[in-house]
Order: sequence, then structure tokens, then C-alpha cells
Amino acid sequence: MSESNFEKVISEIIFDSPAGEIKQVYDSLITIVGENSKDTLLNVIEQYNIKNNIPIDVDGNNILLSENNKDGASRYFDPINGVSFTVDHMNRKGLDVEPYQAKGFTDNQKSLYQSILDYTTNAYPGDVTIAVYPIIEGDTEEAIKLEIIISSTKYNPDNFWNGDWRSKYVYDKNLSQLTGTIDVQIHYYEDGNVSFKSNKTIEQNNVKDIAATISDIEKEFENSLDVSFTELNEKQFKSLRRRLPITRSKINWGKAIGNYRLGKDAAEGA
Amino acid sequence: MSSDEKYDAALDLLRRLDPTKVKTNLQNLISLEPSLAEDLLSSIDLPLTIKQDTKASNREFLCCDYNRDMDSHRSPWSNDYYPQLSAEDLAESPFPSEKLRELEIICNDSFDVYRDLYYEGGVSSVYLWDLDEESDFAGVILFKKSNSSSSSWDSIHVIEVTNSGNADFNYKVTTTIILQLDNHVTSELKLSGNLTRQTERDIRVDTNKDDQLRIAHITNLGTLIEDVESQMRDMLETVYFEKTRDIFHQNKNSLISKNESGKNAQAEIVKGLQNL
Repeated sequence: MSESNFEKVISEIIFDSPAGEIKQVYDSLITIVGENSKDTLLNVIEQYNIKNNIPIDVDGNNILLSENNKDGASRYFDPINGVSFTVDHMNRKGLDVEPYQAKGFTDNQKSLYQSILDYTTNAYPGDVTIAVYPIIEGDTEEAIKLEIIISSTKYNPDNFWNGDWRSKYVYDKNLSQLTGTIDVQIHYYEDGNVSFKSNKTIEQNNVKDIAATISDIEKEFENSLDVSFTELNEKQFKSLRRRLPITRSKINWGKAIGNYRLGKDAAEGA
Repeated sequence: MSSDEKYDAALDLLRRLDPTKVKTNLQNLISLEPSLAEDLLSSIDLPLTIKQDTKASNREFLCCDYNRDMDSHRSPWSNDYYPQLSAEDLAESPFPSEKLRELEIICNDSFDVYRDLYYEGGVSSVYLWDLDEESDFAGVILFKKSNSSSSSWDSIHVIEVTNSGNADFNYKVTTTIILQLDNHVTSELKLSGNLTRQTERDIRVDTNKDDQLRIAHITNLGTLIEDVESQMRDMLETVYFEKTRDIFHQNKNSLISKNESGKNAQAEIVKGLQNL
């Protein structure tokens, strides 16, 4: 297999993995492809961590990775605590922590961070991490656009399940507009492999209170998921296979089983 | 790494990756390690496909690795392979012995009645093959039901029936149910995957007449499959609709704010009372 094809296959596998199981996926892949491919795998995991806004433990604070808190090739920054750091992408740990002044980060953004934090503390029982990053376009002093990310994870590998919530928005100050996506993924793998995935695209105009708007959007999404679960069970699942036959009793197996067909034909007047 | 370790690693990956993309994931793993192909293809259950039997009024039958020879699949209705194989290839193709084919016909007939009663539609197929001992056999019992909104249920029961001496038979079944549910109405939502379980039963079959033995086998297999599918249906309902929903709310739950503020309000009252 060519090197580029190999990287493509490795990428597909890693990007398809649940965020709570990357380490196990890495170990299994290394068993199959060998230690020589370590760098290729770690490189893909770094891309995965940025794309999925994975929380990194930086001296005890969880910081989400994003394209918007990158500083150069391999450093990331945390505007709230005013530090920058490099990342051990496999173990999700921050290294070489240094003081850092984020460009375009203002007190307004700090108070937005606080109001999002107040909201999430009361709506997310999982391990929740949030981020507000300025999106710097050109040489502007204060960012016109802000990236807001909420990540909530609940991992329980001892009981074979892991759950992830990630919502991310861009707030455009000039347009008072909030756009973004919500992604949910639940993986249950005891005696099988069951995956629940849902996502929704968001666009909201005339946004005045950002945290309140996000709270409303996410509550509505949560409620709609509850409705979908019930509908999938009541309508689709039940239409696939009945709990009991139409006769309401278990089947009388053996020679006489043909009688069911005779009975049905008679009932249909065949 | 030994090939066993690689195989176990591949199984571990397939348990973690998106179950709706099992075919792509399987191809990717085989491209990384071609020597895994045979073991993985024979042990990983893929969604069943459907073909038509032109010699049986185009009746549909189910296809999987167990009734496959080259790129053709044997139909349980006419006992022919589709697409048709050359006479030369056909001479090498697997067929059940004449005696076992008689049982296969009865099994197909009985499980077709079962399918109608429980699934009210869909397709069923049973394939049997001989084992070394004449009184033993193995097989696969298949059901597939889809509905208009791209949801589907695939049952794959791999069975092994062995005579453990005298009139005692051991019935072993490994069941995998692949269940896929989609909803695109309010938001994109996919709930899909597979669960596997093994069951075993020892039953005495007191007869030495062929036709009575056949009736005993179909009765025992029928009862076993009916029980296993009922249990698995409950298990699927619990995992899909209770477990995943519960885990989702452990990540996000707007109701906790109500509870919390309720608690705060209560604390205020208590504090107020204490100050009286």
C-alpha cells in the first residue's frame, strides 16, 4: 500500500472512533500495523483532537483545542488563564506552559465566558468544559467573531459505554448572529456495538443575550431528542418485529405449524 | 505480532468503530493486513442482502457468507445458486446432503410461518450444512425486515446441533441482531448497531425414525429461536431506548437546573425558618 493510501485508511479509522476510546483504538492499530507507523498515527490523533475540540489538562485546568486557539505550529493558548502550552495528544496533557496574552481578547469576552459557565454548570451533569476564543481576521484589535464551544463527556469504560456532547458556535458581533452545530455521540459496547449519533445545524439571528440563546437552543434540541427516542421506539422499532404474534401466544411448533397458514388463508378468504 | 493478536486487535477495533460503516471498516482493516481477510469475513456479521430466485416465482431469499460460493448465493427455495454457476464450478459447490436438505425444506417452511407471525413481512431463509458425524448438523437461520423509513432489523442465528450420545441432542445458537433506526424529522438522528448472545440447550429426542426426528429438531430449534429472539428484543429495547437515552442525559440535562434551583429555594426556606 502506498504511503498516502496508508495515511488515508488510518485517518478514516481514527476519525470514526468515539472520543473516549482513542487510546484503545491506537493500541489496536499499532498491534496491526506495527510500531514503525507510530508517528503517522500520532499525527492523525493531533488532527482528531483539534477537529473534535478535545479537552486538554493544562496544570489542572481543562482547555479545549481548536483552530482558533492555535499559536504557531504546535502551541495552543488559554485566554482565560493567560497561558500557552504544547500538547501530549495521546494523553491529553498540556506541557511547556508559559504566560501568554491572547490577541483580541477583551473583558466583554471574559464576562461572556462567565455567563456560559453559569449556564453549563446547571445544564450539564457530565465533565463539562467550555471555551470562548476570538477569531482573528486580518489585523483587527478586537475580534468581530467569537468561537464558543461546550464539551460535555461522560466516560464509563468499566460498564462499556461512553458519551460525548459537543456544541460549537460562531457569534458574529456585526450581524448579531449565532451559527453552529450540536453533535451528540453515545457508544454502548457490552456484548455488541451500539451507536447513537445525532447532530443539528444552528442559525439564529437578532441574538441579544448569547448565553440565554444558547441555553434555549440546547434545551429545545434536548427535548426534540427525547421525542425522537419515543417515536423511534413506538413507531419504527415496534413495526419491525412484534413482541408476540397476532395470536398473542407463542407458536405451536411441529407438524401442526402449517395450520397457521391455513387459518390465515381462511381469514383472508383465500 | 502474531496473527492471533492482530485478529483480536481487529475485532476490538470493529467493536469501537461506527457500526453502520462495518463494511468500510472491514475493508480498511483488510487493506492494512490482508492476511486477516478470511478470518474477519467469516466471523463478522454484515447486514443481509436479498436476491430473487427466478426458479421459484422470483421469491426473495437472504444472502450471507454461509450460503455463498464465489460470487453466487444458494437459494433455499430451488436449491440453486444465483447468479448461476458453470457446471464445472457447481460440481465443487457446497450443498446439504439429501437427508439434510429434507430438514432444510421443513425448517424454511416453519420459519416462514414464524416470520409472518412476528414480522408481518420481511424475508426469512434457513441454510443447513452437514458435520462429520451423521446425526449432527449446523446451519444459519436468517430474518430481515425493513420499513419505508430506512430502519431495518437483521437476525442471524448460527446453530450447531450435536448428538451427545444416546438420544441426547445439544442445540447451540449464536445470535446477532443488527438493528438500524433512522430519524430525519426534527434533527439528524441515528441509533444503530448490533448485539450478540449465545444460548445452549440439551434436549432428549426419543426416536429413531427419520421423519419424527425431523419434527423434533424443528420443534426444538423453533422454540429456541423464538425464546432467544424474544429475549433479544427486550434487550435491544432496553439498550437502544433506555440505556443510550440515560447516558445522553448524564451528559446534558436541562432539568438539573430546575432541581438545583428547587434545592436552593428549599435551602432559602430552611434558612428563613431557622432565622425565625
